[in-house]
Amino acid sequence: MTEDPDMLDDLFQTARRTPAEPSSDLLARVQADALAMQPVRGAVLPAPQTGLFMRLLGALGGWPAAAGLATATVAGLWIGMFPPDLVSDGLSQVLYGADTMTVDPLGGFDYVLLEG
Amino acid sequence: MNMPYDAQAELDDAALLARYATGDAAAARQLTLRLTPRVFAHAMRLMHNTAEAEDVTQEALIRLWRIAPEWREGEAKVSTWLYRVTANLCMDRLRRRASVPLEDAPELADPAKGVEENMQDEARNMALQEALQQLPDRQRQAVVLRHIEGLGNPEIAEIMEIGPRAVESLTARGKRALSALLAGRRKELGYDND
Repeated sequence: MTEDPDMLDDLFQTARRTPAEPSSDLLARVQADALAMQPVRGAVLPAPQTGLFMRLLGALGGWPAAAGLATATVAGLWIGMFPPDLVSDGLSQVLYGADTMTVDPLGGFDYVLLEG
Repeated sequence: MNMPYDAQAELDDAALLARYATGDAAAARQLTLRLTPRVFAHAMRLMHNTAEAEDVTQEALIRLWRIAPEWREGEAKVSTWLYRVTANLCMDRLRRRASVPLEDAPELADPAKGVEENMQDEARNMALQEALQQLPDRQRQAVVLRHIEGLGNPEIAEIMEIGPRAVESLTARGKRALSALLAGRRKELGYDND
């Protein structure tokens, strides 16, 4: 059988002109999938390169935790060098030249006891 | 920031897909409206079964949404990739079924045309579809891509993962087979009056 190019070409043209149309239900389903599966804005940005410092910072709990840690360190150093009256330890005895170390667990409650 | 809807329409598929991957909801809607008709029409040509073509369309596009964040512009055309995925999904379904029942001709009525002309278009479409369904799967795919989708041989070769010569051979054999199948229907389809 030989080809019939005229008829075939015309049939192809008709097919091109009149494609099957998707239903509105299919369009709605596809759009719902597209929106449900869409990456969240900003989530696809490449992850920044993290060095050792940033990894340690992350392990501590980030910048707020690091700031708290720094404050506690400075406060500890200050209390160690200039202790309040009620704070007495071996280091202050050495620093201030006392020969003996006394322990008075109720020192702060003297007035309370006298009044009672 | 979402682009205006009209501006999205100017972007090509890959650029729109890149915007989709950044979370642009307008791009999701534009891609849906642009790609769903193409994929559905192609699936219908290969399977001629509305329910199955709808399932294939939804599945093919789910695969596109999933791959969108890794899509690299310039590596492949979105349409080429979609034709390949769609065809593979259709072929899987066709292989699982011994025969796919032909449906009635889809509604193609164009109000701008006369009733007689619309009926003739539908009859011709149905005749072509019936003949296409009798071709081997790969011949049908090649003929549809070449003569209905209007693609060039290099792109068809990429979609079908074969050489351009094999594409030529498949389309030539497909057209010969179609002519043979439709030869007895010239008068019925209104071609003897041309």
